[in-house]
Parts: sequence; C-alpha cells; structure tokens
Amino acid sequence: MSHAPAASATAAAEPVALPARRRRRLGVRVSRAAVPYLLLAPAVAVIVAVLAYPLYLLGSLSFQQYGLFELIRHDGRWVGLDNYRTILSDSLFVDVLVRTVVFTAVCVSLTMLFGTLIALLLARLGPFMRLLLTSGLVVVWAMPVVVAVNIWIWMFDFEFGVVNYVLTELHIGDYVHHDWFENSTTGLAIIAAIVIWGAIPFVAITLFAGLTQVPRELLEAAALDGAGPMRIFRDITLPILKPIFIILASLSIIWDFQVFNQVWIARGGQPTEEYFLMAVYAFVESFKTQQYGLGAAIAVVMVAIMLVVTFFYIREMVRIGEVKR
Amino acid sequence: MRLRVVAAASVCAALTLGAAAASAMPARLASPSAAQATTLRVWLQVDAQQNWEGAVKAASNKFEASHSGVEVKVEYQTWNEHLTKFDAALAGSNAPDVIELGNTEMTKYMAAGAFADITSSKRSIPNSSTWLQGLTDSATYKGKLYGVPYYAGARGVIYRTDQFRAAGIKKVPNSLDRYEAALTKLQAKFGKDRRYSALYFPGQYWLASMSFVYDYGGKIAEFKGGKWKGTLDSPQAIQALTRLKKIVRSYSKANKTGDEANPAQALVFGKGKVGSIIANGWEWGYALNKDTGNPSLEDKIGAFPMPSHTPGKFMPTFLGGSDLAIPVTSRNKQLAIDWLKEFTGTDLMRYMATVGKVLPNTTSLASVHKTNKQVAPFARAASSSWFVPAAANWVNVENKRIIRNMLVRIFSNRGGVASEAKKASQAITTELNRSS
Repeated sequence: MSHAPAASATAAAEPVALPARRRRRLGVRVSRAAVPYLLLAPAVAVIVAVLAYPLYLLGSLSFQQYGLFELIRHDGRWVGLDNYRTILSDSLFVDVLVRTVVFTAVCVSLTMLFGTLIALLLARLGPFMRLLLTSGLVVVWAMPVVVAVNIWIWMFDFEFGVVNYVLTELHIGDYVHHDWFENSTTGLAIIAAIVIWGAIPFVAITLFAGLTQVPRELLEAAALDGAGPMRIFRDITLPILKPIFIILASLSIIWDFQVFNQVWIARGGQPTEEYFLMAVYAFVESFKTQQYGLGAAIAVVMVAIMLVVTFFYIREMVRIGEVKR
Repeated sequence: MRLRVVAAASVCAALTLGAAAASAMPARLASPSAAQATTLRVWLQVDAQQNWEGAVKAASNKFEASHSGVEVKVEYQTWNEHLTKFDAALAGSNAPDVIELGNTEMTKYMAAGAFADITSSKRSIPNSSTWLQGLTDSATYKGKLYGVPYYAGARGVIYRTDQFRAAGIKKVPNSLDRYEAALTKLQAKFGKDRRYSALYFPGQYWLASMSFVYDYGGKIAEFKGGKWKGTLDSPQAIQALTRLKKIVRSYSKANKTGDEANPAQALVFGKGKVGSIIANGWEWGYALNKDTGNPSLEDKIGAFPMPSHTPGKFMPTFLGGSDLAIPVTSRNKQLAIDWLKEFTGTDLMRYMATVGKVLPNTTSLASVHKTNKQVAPFARAASSSWFVPAAANWVNVENKRIIRNMLVRIFSNRGGVASEAKKASQAITTELNRSS
C-alpha cells in the first residue's frame, strides 16, 4: 500500500523528454498496481482494528503484573517473562494442557467419524428421509449452546434425571442417585458427548456436499470391477474428499481446543480442577483470581498452539485454490 | 489506559471463551455509565430480594423522599458472579455506588484500595458503637473503616422433630457422638427409602466441613514468620476430616460433587426425605416457603446448635455475613452514605432480623431473637465461631475452589484424606503468599 504513492511520485519526476506514449503507459501501470491495495485497504483496516490491536494488547498484558490493585488504578506493572515462567512451572498447567489435547483428540475423531457416517447415510437416503435427517441436523446446529447444555445436564441430573430413571427401570443397574460427574472421566465423557453432538451437523452437511461432487462414473466403474463398498470408500471417495476432511478436522480442532461453555454450564459455573480445560483454566486465572496478566499469558500460549493448527488449515485452503486453477 | 484494559480483557475473553461469553463481557463493560448525579446504584445480593425486600424498598423510599431528584436503583446479584461483574465494572468505571460483599471477600478489595474510607462518617451511621465486632473487623483494614456491617449468619442443625421422635431420640444431642447416634437411629428407622438422608450433606459444603476442622483444634492456615502456611494437613485437621468423611458417607445421600445451594438444601429438606441439615437460620423459612418449600412442615421443624466432639460444647460455626461498601470510583459517596444510614437504621435492622431471620448488625438488637424459636438456636450457636484466615488473598482460595475440590475427592473416595489434605494445604500456601 505504501509504495503506490511513492511510485507515482517517481513517475511524475520522470524527465519531460520521455516520449508521451511511454509516460502514459507507465502511469497506467502504476495506477493498475495500486488498485488491489486500495481495494484491500478497508479490509486491512478492519482486521488491524478488531484483531491485530487487541492481540497486541493481549500480548502486552501477558508481560504485566495486572491484578485487582492495577485494575482499579488502570495501570499495570511490567514484569517481563514472569507470567510465562509461572504458568510453565505450574504442574496444573501441564495437566490441563494434556487433558485438553486428549479431550480435543477424542472430540475431533468422534465428530469426524459420526459426521462421515451420517454424510454417507444422507447420500443413500431417498428425498423425504434425507429432508427429515437434514432438518434434524440443522435444528441441532441452530440450538444455542446454553439451552442445549442445560437440557443435557437435566437428563443426567443426580436427583431427578431421566437417564438414571430409565437405566434403573430397565434393570441395567442401580442408578438411583448416580452421580455422573463424581468421576471426572465419565463427567468429561458426557461433556465431550455434548460437544460432539453439537459439532456433527456441520461436518455431516459439509461432507455430504462434498460427496455429491464425487463422479458417479468412477464409483460405478469401481463397482463393476468388483470393489466392495469399503474399498470404494478407501480408494475413491476418501482421496477425492481429502482436502475437505483436512479443513473440517482443522476447524474442529480449533473449536474443540477452546471448549468453555459446555464445561462451565455443566459444572454450574464452579468446575473443580479435574474439569479444567485450557479455556476454563484461563478464565479462572484471569477473572476468578483476578490475575489478568497470568490469564493473558495462558491465552497467548493457546493462540500459539492454535496458530500451528491454523497453518495446516491455510496450507490446505491454498492448495485447493491451486487445484482449481 | 482504561480502554486498553477493556480491549485486552475482551480479547482475552474472546480468545478463550468463544463468541457467547465474549459478547457478554464487553456488553457489560460498555453499558453506559449510570453515574449521573440523579441515580444511586446499589448492588445487593439476591438474599435481600428473597428475604427482606421490604426493607430495601422502605429505605429507598425514605431516602428518595428526603433527597428530591435522586433515584435509587437496586440491582440484585448472585454470589457466583458478582465479583467478576464488579471487576468488569471497575475496569470500565461504571461500578455501583454501594455494593454488598461477603465478609470473606472484603480483605482483598480493601487491600487493593477498591473502597472509599468512611472512618470519618462512622459516628453518624446508626448503631455504629454497638456493631457486631466480627463484622466490623471484616470491614476494617489497617485501622480504617471501609464498610458498614450489614448482617451476620450462623449455622446450626435444622431437624425434623417428628422424625427424631419417631426414631426414639428424646433429647437434643449435646455431643457429636450423641448426634451421630441419633443419625444412626434415623437411618435405621427411615433408611428403607434409599433416597433418605439422616443428615443431608453435599460434598462441596466447605463452610460446614471446616467447622469440624476448627472443632478438633485444626485451622485452614496460619501466619508464621511473615508467611502463610496451609494447615489442613495437621493431625487435628486430618482427624476431623476423617470423622466427617465417615459421617457423610454413612448418613448423606446428597450429591458428593454438589453444593448446598444447587439445589438449595432447604428445598430438598422440605421435600421430606431428610432428617437434618446444617444450615443458616434463614433456611428454616425457606424450607417452609409457600411457593418453593413445604408449609405443612410448620410444626415439625426445630433447630439446635451443632454439638462439638467435646460433650456439652458447641462446634464452632462459620460467622458468615455481609458488609456494605462504597467503591472508590463512586461519584455519589455522600448520597451513598445517606442511603446506608436509612438501610441499616434500627427499625429496618429489626425488620431484617425478624422477617429475614438473620442476626442483625448490632448487639443492641440481640434481644429480638431471645424468644424466637426460629432464630435463638442460631444466635446461641454464634457464641462459638471461626472465620477465614485474614490474608489479603484469601478470596482466591475460595474462587479457585481449593477446599471444595479437596472435599469432593475425599468424600467420593478418590483420594486418601491425608494426601488430599496435603495437596490442598500446599495450594493454599501458594495462593495466600502470592504477591498482590
């Protein structure tokens, strides 16, 4: 953007002795070169204002001691890398990081698995059933997280939950007063189920859209050559849909890595340490113990991890662009 | 600078919380400053709304009558969220003019300079010479007064007189052993219903749990040689927690990961499958409430102070309570004091004590409870009390749920008493010694 005016200044400074035609052509070239930058300028300005500047503030907050005292005075104290040293030496941080990675891995793989199965099912259904299933998916997708989580939690309620009731009535076991959240592994499994349930529609519908692009001739030819459904899926569908899979997986990783609402609401706004995922941990550190600098440092670490995932996502996006060209 | 903090806080939220939470935070921060001279903004906890809203209305009406052109706006807050909201308001400079804080929450804010020094107005505030010492102490920092005592509460045992009688328990237990024996009888008599709890005790009920620790001579933390040290792993504390674990696991069917507020234990008590609860005085009325509780229990409820393991003594109860403070950012400090004078005046205090069943902020009203069978046992229980460590960072221990976490793990048998207590003590030591 900045070199455009400079270039036109050089153009104006060209000796008058130049042939008129050449001068005109140069002028056109310069203004042509400036157009894309001019068109980009508004978007760049918006991105700087809503993303770059807050990110800069977050970064600078992570180098400050910023507690209640500083909050009231609106003035932080510079402490260099202290906040990072504190979190990296905190065993809780490592626990939370590992738990978040495992949680994300489970959520993403199950989301992708069920999403794919439902997409394949959609492709084989008749128009009416397909409409029914798609509507169901869209309703799930449209339901606000707060509502969805609360309903799930009611179903698993300790005292009055329908899950305990049904399991007991079916004589599967004695589930009167069964506390699903007493053991954090089952508790997190339920939370993971809520996350997966909410994430499947997007994956299923996107993959279904992708499936419609797989050339029918290829599938028929493979079937004629005696390939079974598994083989067809592995050797034809999967390679064609690979870019979509990678994009969906990267997006799911980004979303599931920062799960907050599901945990927070499911644990009634007071999760114990065993339920801390990264986002919950950062929130508790900054807003519950009022260490905004420390919370910012955790957020920066999260952003750094996310950048790695985003790299794969963007690389795949660029590749798709190249294929099309 | 203020904008920078707001922006940074909101990006922090946006990056970590996802869209829903992120859009909620800045909205709160950015709501227009209501500090026009004509509106006095007051933040009270929902307890006032549920139990003595009449007093709030009366105070505001009287105040508005004598201050023409000033409107009082009371906003009710929940215990879970109010500090986070208050911090956001401080960052955005739209904090209220008066705020209620729990007495355990005061120290950190006073130390950080969040409240106006009202030492010079103390004498003009009603009953200030007879305020409860415990509450006055919680609102005093380095010799200066930063808050007005509001009310106090002590816990005792609320029990079903009919069930005790049916189980053959003739006398109110005067020792922990006798109480446990009574629980055994209740469980034998009514335990056929698998949902029955002789003592309903949710796993995260830390205030009642710590009473056991203090009863056995333990402490949460102590200050030695200029440093705080968590002491829940002392032999006394471990003995107390071991005893409590046995009681909880034998007599309580309450959720071991739940707390006493969700669902409200008084409501569970009202449903009838509970023999006793350790509760605040006001929870008695809550259990009988005609909308949410069970009025038919009217003649079947009694209360007694929680007995100590030493026969004849009471177990120390947590002296809970609230103070009312004026944020340093308020532009209506004198108006705020005037409103506080109305609200904590003798007549309204008597109203809160009799209607709301709390302990009033002044000893001059102690007699209102003598004859009231719903409040007298709790007033007696308050004669033996404990309070949280007076460390500036204490509220972090509460907010990080260190003790709750420990209790849940102990009661649900996921960790030994000694090892869990040790872990919690170390965490408490770290939190209390943190700078700022």
